[in-house]
Parts: sequence; C-alpha cells; structure tokens
Amino acid sequence: MSGLPVHLIEVTPRELPGLQDTRGEGIRSMLSADHGLSVGKVRSITGYQVKSNLDSGELLQSLQDLFTDPIIELGVANKSFLDDNSLFPDQPELAIMVGFKPGVTDNAAQAALDGLLTLFPKQSNAQIATTMTYLFWDIPSGTDALWLANTLHNPMIERAAMANAEHCSNAVWPQLPFPERPVIAFAPPATIDLEVDDETLIKISEDGLLALNLEEMQAVQSHYRDPVTQATRETLGLPPAAPTDVELECLAQTWSEHCSHKIFAAKIHHVDTETGEDSEINSLFKTHIMQPTLDMQKRVDWLLSIFHDNSGVIEWTDDWSLCIKAETHNSPSALDPFGGAMTGIVGVNRDILGTGLGARPIANMDVFCFGPPDYDGDLPGGLFHPSRVLRGVHAGIRAGGNESGIPTVNGAIVFDDRYIGKPLVYAGTVGIMPRYLPDGRESHDKTSAAGDIVYMLGGRVGSDGIHGATFSSLELTEESPSSAVQIGDPITQKKMVDMVLEARDAGLIQVITDNGAGGLSSSVGELAELTGGAELDLGAVPLKQPGLSSWEILVSESQERMTVGVSEANIPAFEALAALHEVEATAVGVFTNSGAFIVKHGEATVAHLPMDFMHDGCPQLNLESEWKPPVHDNPNYPTVDESEMGKILQRILARPNVASKEWWVRQYDHEVIAQSVIKPFCGVNHDAPGDAAVIAPLHGDTRGAVVACGIVPRYSDIDAYAMTAASIDEAVRNAVCVGVDLDKIAGLDNFCWPDPIESEKTPDGRFKLAQLVRSNRALDDVCRAYNLPCISGKDSMKNDAKLDGKKISIPPTLLYTVLGDHQDVRKAVSSDFKDKGDAIYLLGETHQELGASELSYMLAEETGGGIGNDVPQIDTTRNLTLYRALTAAMDKGLVRSAHDCSDGGLATAVAECCFGCDGATTINLDALTTNGTDGWGILFGESLGRILVSVKPEHTSEFEAAMAGNALANIGMVGDKKTLKFTLDGKPILKANLSKLLASWKDTLNMGGGH
Amino acid sequence: MADTVRVAVLYGFGINCDHETKAVFEMAGAEAERIHVNELVNGDKTLADYHIMAVPGGFSFGDHLGSGRLLGNRLRFGIRDMVQDFVKAGKLVIGICNGFQVLVKMGLLPGDEEVSLTQTASLTLNNTGHYEDRWVHLEFDPNSPCVWTRGLERIRVPVRHGEGKFVTTIDANLDQWAENGQLVVRYVDSNDAYPSAGDELLPFPICPNASMRNIAGVCDPTGRVFGLMPHPEANHSTWLGATWTREMPEHGEGEGMAIFHNAVNFAKENL
Repeated sequence: MSGLPVHLIEVTPRELPGLQDTRGEGIRSMLSADHGLSVGKVRSITGYQVKSNLDSGELLQSLQDLFTDPIIELGVANKSFLDDNSLFPDQPELAIMVGFKPGVTDNAAQAALDGLLTLFPKQSNAQIATTMTYLFWDIPSGTDALWLANTLHNPMIERAAMANAEHCSNAVWPQLPFPERPVIAFAPPATIDLEVDDETLIKISEDGLLALNLEEMQAVQSHYRDPVTQATRETLGLPPAAPTDVELECLAQTWSEHCSHKIFAAKIHHVDTETGEDSEINSLFKTHIMQPTLDMQKRVDWLLSIFHDNSGVIEWTDDWSLCIKAETHNSPSALDPFGGAMTGIVGVNRDILGTGLGARPIANMDVFCFGPPDYDGDLPGGLFHPSRVLRGVHAGIRAGGNESGIPTVNGAIVFDDRYIGKPLVYAGTVGIMPRYLPDGRESHDKTSAAGDIVYMLGGRVGSDGIHGATFSSLELTEESPSSAVQIGDPITQKKMVDMVLEARDAGLIQVITDNGAGGLSSSVGELAELTGGAELDLGAVPLKQPGLSSWEILVSESQERMTVGVSEANIPAFEALAALHEVEATAVGVFTNSGAFIVKHGEATVAHLPMDFMHDGCPQLNLESEWKPPVHDNPNYPTVDESEMGKILQRILARPNVASKEWWVRQYDHEVIAQSVIKPFCGVNHDAPGDAAVIAPLHGDTRGAVVACGIVPRYSDIDAYAMTAASIDEAVRNAVCVGVDLDKIAGLDNFCWPDPIESEKTPDGRFKLAQLVRSNRALDDVCRAYNLPCISGKDSMKNDAKLDGKKISIPPTLLYTVLGDHQDVRKAVSSDFKDKGDAIYLLGETHQELGASELSYMLAEETGGGIGNDVPQIDTTRNLTLYRALTAAMDKGLVRSAHDCSDGGLATAVAECCFGCDGATTINLDALTTNGTDGWGILFGESLGRILVSVKPEHTSEFEAAMAGNALANIGMVGDKKTLKFTLDGKPILKANLSKLLASWKDTLNMGGGH
Repeated sequence: MADTVRVAVLYGFGINCDHETKAVFEMAGAEAERIHVNELVNGDKTLADYHIMAVPGGFSFGDHLGSGRLLGNRLRFGIRDMVQDFVKAGKLVIGICNGFQVLVKMGLLPGDEEVSLTQTASLTLNNTGHYEDRWVHLEFDPNSPCVWTRGLERIRVPVRHGEGKFVTTIDANLDQWAENGQLVVRYVDSNDAYPSAGDELLPFPICPNASMRNIAGVCDPTGRVFGLMPHPEANHSTWLGATWTREMPEHGEGEGMAIFHNAVNFAKENL
C-alpha cells in the first residue's frame, strides 16, 4: 500500500457576487473577537491527499463529481491554486496549512474515501487525508506568525506547516506529508514481576499509568501468590506467579477511580469540628445515594432499573420507558476541547444505546464549567485560554449532537477562574425504549446466557484512546498522553444506532453495552458478570493498524463501538442487518459460566482473571475527613441611588454566569425529532430563557417529559451542603416552572470534585473530603424530602491541574439533573411574561441570603470585601408544599408564566421575564421585607424555593386560593413600559432602561466568529 | 387514483429526521415506510412500489465534502434509473433540509424537464458561518405549479442548518426559475403585509442564511419535486410552535402539516 502515489487535490470557494469564503471569514472574525486582531482578509483552501492509483481520467472525474461543488467551488489536482495568478493576484503574507497527525480520526477524509468508493468501487486500498490551508492578507505588523499558527491548530492532534512573507513572495507554499501511521512491531505479552519491594510496586504503577495505589498493587501481588491461582495458571500456560501485562492493564482499568468509584466506596472517618461529630461512613454511595433510592423504590412502582446499568430506567407510560445518564469528559476536553467534548457526548449516547437491550437517545443535556472567556490573568503553560476551550468544547458538542440527530434540549455554562486548570464538560442524554419488546421481553433487562456470542460492533480498535480511564483518574500534567485524546465519528455511530435499534426490535440482542472507558476489558469484563465468565479472542478484533499488542487491544477506548451478545441462532440475521447498514460486526468471543474472564490472542492465552477477584478484589480505601467551616468577610455594599442600582443590575446581567447563552445555544439543534414543546428560548422575540425542556417524544401524543438541571458551585465556597441542596432545588424548581408531575421525578447526580485524598500534593484533602461528605448528606436529605430517587450518576474525583508547579483545584461542583413526567404538554408553562395587565407574583420566602451570591462575587471583584457567609438555606417541606400547589394550579390553567428565581436574584428574574414580552413594568417590593431583608437582599438575594409567576387578572382570586398557605406576594402587573422600576416603601430603589438591560445581557457571550 | 398513498421515507448514513417525517405522512393519511438507501441499491425494494419519496433532514455523511453531496452521489450513481423513472412517472418527491441539499447536489432540483440530474444550483454555508436552529416565516408563491404548497400563504417553521444558503452562479437561471414559479418558498419579514416575498436580500435573521433572493425552497418545472431548507415536519402539532404558550391556540395540527396533506391528497387523486 505504501507504494501508492499521493495525489493532491485543492478546493476553494469561488469569489463571485453573493458568494464568500465563509470559512476564511470565520477565522477572520474569530481572531477579531477573541484576540482583538484585525486581519484584512483570510481565504481557505481545503486539501485532500488521495493515496491511490487513480488514473488521470478517474482523478478528473473524482474532482468533478466528488471533491468539488461545480457551482460554488473550484478544484485542481496535483497543482496549487497559489501558483495561479488569476485566482490570487496578490501573494498572501502568510499561509498556514493544518492537517491531522497520523492515527487521529479524520472524519472528512473517511467521508471522502466513502465517496471515492461510490465512484470507483475497485479503489478499496485507497487512503485519504485532509488538510486546511489559511491564507492571510493585511496582517497587523508585529503579529507573531507562530502564535497565529498555534491559535489555528492543536499540536496534540494536528500538524501545521507555515509559509511566511518571504516564502510566500518566493512562491514556496506550506506542505505536509501524508500522515502515514508508523509501523508498529507487535510485542508479545510481557510478564510483570511483582515480587519486588513496595517502592518498585508504586513505580510499576506510575510508569505504566496504571493509577493503582500501593495497597491495590499489594492486592494484585497477593493474588498471584495464591497457590490455587498458580495451579490454574500453570495449566493455561500462563506465568504462574506473576501477571501478564494484559492482566495488569485489565485490572488497572477495572479498578480505576473512573470505573470503580473508589472514593465513593471508601470507609471515611469524618470529624466535624463545629458539632464535635466523630463518625465512620462505610461508602458514601451506598449510604447516601443508593439507600435513599432503595427506600423510595419500596413506595413507587416505576423505578425499573437503577444503578447497575449504563443508565437509570423509569417506566414512563404503559408502553414506553425513559432512561437518563450524564457523564463528564473533563480531562480529554482540557487537552483537545473539540475532540474531548465530542467523544463525551457521543460516548454518553452509547450509554443510552447500551441500556437494557438498547434505548434510543432522544435528548442531550450539556453543561460546561469554564474559566471566564475574557480572562486576562496569567495562564500556566500547557493550558488553553478559556475562550478557546469554550469554542472548542462547544463545537465538539455541536458536531456530536447535531450530526447524531439528537436534540440538545437543556444545559448551562458556568464560569469561574478555577476551571481554567480543568474545564468540566458534563454530557447527558435521555433515551426512550419500549416497555416490552415484540418477543415479550422487558427491554430494560439484559438476558444473556452462557454460550451467547460476543460481537464487537462499529468502529475498529486503534492506538488512540489508550489509558483514558486511568488517565482521568490522575492529575493533569504536562506529560499527559496524547493517546488519551480522540475525535468522535458521529456518522459511524449513527449507522450503528440505526442498526442496533432494529436488531433490538427484531429480538436479536441478548445483552449490550458500550465500549467506553477501559474498552473491551470493561465492556466484556462487566457483561461477563451476568453469565459468570467470558472468553475473548483479541486476534479476532478488527484493528485500525496492525501490530497492536494484546493489552492495547484489550484496553483501547477507540470510539463508536458497542459490545453485543447474540445467541447462536440469531447470528445470520444479526450479521445481515449489520451488512445492510454498513456496520462492521465481528464475533470476538463467547460468554461463559466458567467463573473467569479469559483472554486469548489467537491460540495463546494471555489473561485469566477470576471474576470475583476482578470485580471484588480491589481493597477499600480508608480516608480521613475533617469539617471546619470557612469564614468569609462580608461584601462592601456601596451607597447607590436608583439609577446606579439599575447599573448594578445591568452589570449582573452582563456577568457570564447570568448573561444570555443564546449565541451558543442556537448552534445546537434543539428540535430534531419534532418533539420540542418548551424550548431553550421563549418569548415574543424568541430570546428569553427557558427554565426546563419539555418534550413530547411520541408524535401526535400530548404526554411529555421534562428535563431540568441545577448547578451552583459558587456556594461550595461557603458550604458544599448548601451548594448541593441549592443545585437539587434549582433542578426541581426549573422542572416545576414548566409543570412537571411531581409524583414522577427522578434524578441524576454528577459530582466533580478536586482530589479529596489527603497527601503531600493535597494537604487540604481532609477538608475537600468533608465537603464531599456534607454534599452527600444534603443529597440524601433533599432527595428523600422531595421523593426524588437518584437513578444514575457519576463522579469525577481528580479535577486538579498542576502546571508550572502551580496547583489549581476546581470548586466542588454537583450537576443535578431531573427527569420528570408531564401529563399533558398542552398545559406546559413558559417563563416569558405574556399580556399587559397580568398579575405578577413572587412565590416563596425571601431571606437575607446574599452569601456567595452572584452579587457578592461581583462586589468582591469591584470593591473588595468578601463573599459573605449567609448562603441560602433549604426548607424542603416549605418548598415542596409550594411546588405541589403551583403545579396543581398550572394543571387548572391558572398560570400564564413561571420563572425560576436563582442566579442574580429577583431583579434578574423579573428582567428576564420582561425580555420575554418586550415590556417593562414597576415592581413593588414592600411585601418582601418580612424576614429582615434589605433592598440588596430582596433584589439580588438567591433564597431557594422561589418562583416568579404571572396570572391573568380574571384568575387571580382562584390562583391565590389555590396557593393558600404558601408564601405569595403580588408585586406588580405585566407592562409595556421602556423603564423597569423596583420600589420599596414608596421610593424607587432601582431604575433601568429595559433595552439597555437586554443589550448587556445579550452582548457578553455573543462571541462572533464562525469557527 | 390511489386508495392507499404509499410513502418511501429514505434513511441511513446520518439521515436523522426519518421518524418524524414518517409520522407526518401518517398523520396526513398515508402509509409511510422507512427505507434504508441500501435496500434500494441492493434491489431488495424498489421506488416503483411507492407514490411519494421523501428524503428527510439529517447530517448524511456528516456534511463532509459539502452537505448532501455524498448521499446525492449514492443515489445518482447507485439508483440513477430508479430515481429518473420515479420522477418521470409523475410521482412526488420532497427533500427537507439535508434531503433538499441531496436533491440539489444530485441535480434533481431545480431540475429540468429531462430529469438529466445535472447540478445547476447549490446550498452553501450560511453567511454567519455556523449552524443555527431558529424559527422563520415562510411565504409561498401562489402561482407556483408546486403541488406540495397549493393554497399556502405563510407558515412558521424552524430552520436547522449550517449550509442553507441557496446560490447559483448564473443570474438568468434564477430569473427562469422565478418565471416558472419554481422559487416556491421564501423567507419573509412577518411585519410586512402578505404578500411580501421579494428578491432583495432580507437581513439576518429574517433570512437566516443570506440565500439569494431569500429562497428557502424550490420545485422542479413540474411542481412535483419539491425541496426546502426549513422543517415543516417539525411543526406538526400546535404545541411545537415557537411561541404557542403566548397564543393559547385551539390545539391540533401545526402549520407545517398542510404541505403533507397537499401531497397525500394529490397522490390520492392523481397517482
């Protein structure tokens, strides 16, 4: 193959009236928006390196019928546009060519190859790679060309070549060679001698990126000292007293923090210096997450599958079940924001596909935590600027979701300096599955039996994605491996999704799971638990390139793969379906009841791991936790008049946490599947924020589902208990705002924490663990009170970065997601104020709770001072009573709008509702002073359990009766004024022009640029 | 006169609006079936058994090498005769969003009398440079021969695309298509009184992609092959509208359904 010639094809947009080079223009505007760099003109040339024996006639045909659009593009083969004076009469000042590194997924090239084979089916040994060349004119003097090149490519996955002004004037253009994968020589499995001292054990773990601690290495060591183990191994031809590298890698994956959640399973000694508590917690997960849900399962009949599968499943209607799961993809997104985020979203889609016997992904939720986009402080080496992380992650989520045909219905973006070291990328998905399959099986149950054939489906295995699971269990350092980074291929996955769901409905699937973290070692290893064993042949696994060693094939996390168990009788039908969909399906093993996970590579046995050792052999961690509440200074509150207070609201609205995310969110398809009832935006101009998504997934049917989320990491600075309570309450409140059925709500907990294990590099580990303990206790308390079972979740516990010797830890962050039922979507409520004259009510109690509020952070930044200590407290009984009364009133059609009152307080919520009807009003705050509040607290405090609603005048008395017994204040009427006013004791305390507020709210995150 | 109108809804390779497209034809009274493109290429199924072919929206082949090109080639080279026979038999075709891109790139739209499958227009990147999901107002040409849009004046539906800018390099083509009534649907400003469709480019986001002459969709000279970038199937029910909570509508079918009713009724009476 290497002997084939490489033909170079160039394609560029025509410049004609009404046509433009939009890619080049996108780069130009991105440089202006993100870097203040004003370049005169940017043009783009797409390159295809086609390695094949096409003859000149075929080359010409491929140029016309495949590579070039005859209307809008020009294409040439084996010559350069840049030598064509008619096209580019002026030489560019700089030309930068970017291409992928060898082995990195190049989706455009894959598509081009597919297209080439449509034209010339005989070219099956052809290979294609793509490049993109940017040409620059009128670059400001002093611009560093190397900096510009680095802005346009990510050296982790891409290569770049550059022609500077001198090169350009001599017509020397940038070139990149075809990205040949280096030839890998197959290395047979090695034996790892563990009869060494403790220091060497640790060195083995560290050098191999195994992320196993000493106790865990010792547990492995002692397994191989067991005479029973040794006898078995002898008969299989395995080294009797030492693991092979295949076994050690497999154990490291299975026992990784990422896969086995060791911190949540740990025994914790917890001390509270405030209360004197000194206690022991045996597994936070079992105590505070699983137990409450199990207790609730005794009272409801709709919890179908919880905790053990790839996502949690609830019965929704008599005929359909819903499932939900969220994952984080933080470490990969730090290294390659685009690829990391894309593999995050398509990866969690596979969790849905791999639930039960297979579910269809129908809605994505994406929540990001980043450094501020306008951050101008020091940036440690090796980190991307937050704006680049934001753009890259957003583009990856956009491509992954949109190309998969799954709407992004809900999400959030949170900003804080401490996410500069490690951005958080939460990707979640809701799925739908029939309650029963045509053959009578319940589709949420896996039905595997010994003897079922193990199929690997979808993509092939390559050296990409090795050590993703163990790597995410380590701190991010300069040495982080590029092999842990991948780019998703949504189209390969989409074909597989289509095929799997048809196979499910045809009854061809006995068991299915995705290949995510840990690759085949995890997917087959976990499914083997159901039958009591499995035998896998690595020699049968299709590879992207020859030469991978046994352990690499076993643990590679190459994307777009499912593992499926198929009974022997169904093999022909299953393989025929795969062929129709052009999905590669390969039998790679068999499920057994032998009690062991046996891995062969051809004839040779390369691993033998007893199931009980593999899944229960990891020793429990013993951890220390100590709570000592932090004390903060109070904010400095300036003395202001009503206009200055208006400016404060304007600045709050402009803060990235509060500001409109419309520019970003519009780029997600939120309506594919034609089910979107309450959308991300509402209001007369479609620009006011929605609180939660309502979808009606059964076309023509009015039964719905609600998806809502809550996230308030700021509050962790005072107390992670308050943070957690507020996050859950926010998620529930958002769901209430659209009319959720509170009798069927289920939750997802996604924890992202800094490393909470005390050590030399984490001297404050006890405090961080105490934050985790308090967070879990809040989760337990609030979920029990709200009858909100957690049906799935995930934790990511090493969100620290050490760069340039400086450690940056994220604030403890919980994303709480609620999935709920909606009985009749025609009664759903949106947040925008509707008609002039409608009565405005604030529901819920307002307290003087400005601690860690958006206002406190802003004042601390502007005038010094601290963030205060009065963080909002939760009263679950009070809140739930109010929520139930409100949803009942909605069901009666009494509520015209409802909006959650949270970040930025009441003033922000009122402004947002006014944006929705494009009219301002006057709000009277007198009724809100009963709890010792002052103007600051009323306007900007973030007390929980509050919802701003509007009601038609003719319904006010009925509404007030429906809400009887709950805190309720009539604070004004929907208006059509230009000025928004708040009065207290008859005096205006805030006055602002609504269109100015709107502009501030919209401008902050309107980033421009088309990249 | 067809008792049962049979619709082939194509899917595969990244098409992703196939389920809702099937659903709207069923709501309009047809019998719709999802057909994998390869079932036609392999000869397992034939278009001759159907009255309507729908190419739904999606991201076939990830939009690489230009949206719709690769799937268009699969049809143009894989089932060329079958498609030409189908169209020449006077049967109906609709392409929505990515499906429209497919029909344009394979030359079926704006098309010609001979069904020569020669590309004469294209759909390229929106001037904003990126994908967007937003609702638009569409206005239909009352003088168009298009059977899909009979009796329609204006509807509200979402656009969801990154490459929806309809372009051609020959201005005379546009004039000819306009004269034929082939420029059947355009983006309009809802504040302008009906009819207001015009050639002068409307600002973003009224015209969301800077399409020449604000073109949102076109038909072939017979009016039986129709394609558009916006998604009428996404407004199949009133509760899916962008501002329905403000309007308190009498709930029922959404504004996009008229297009599918037109086609099914036409097929019932004429095919």
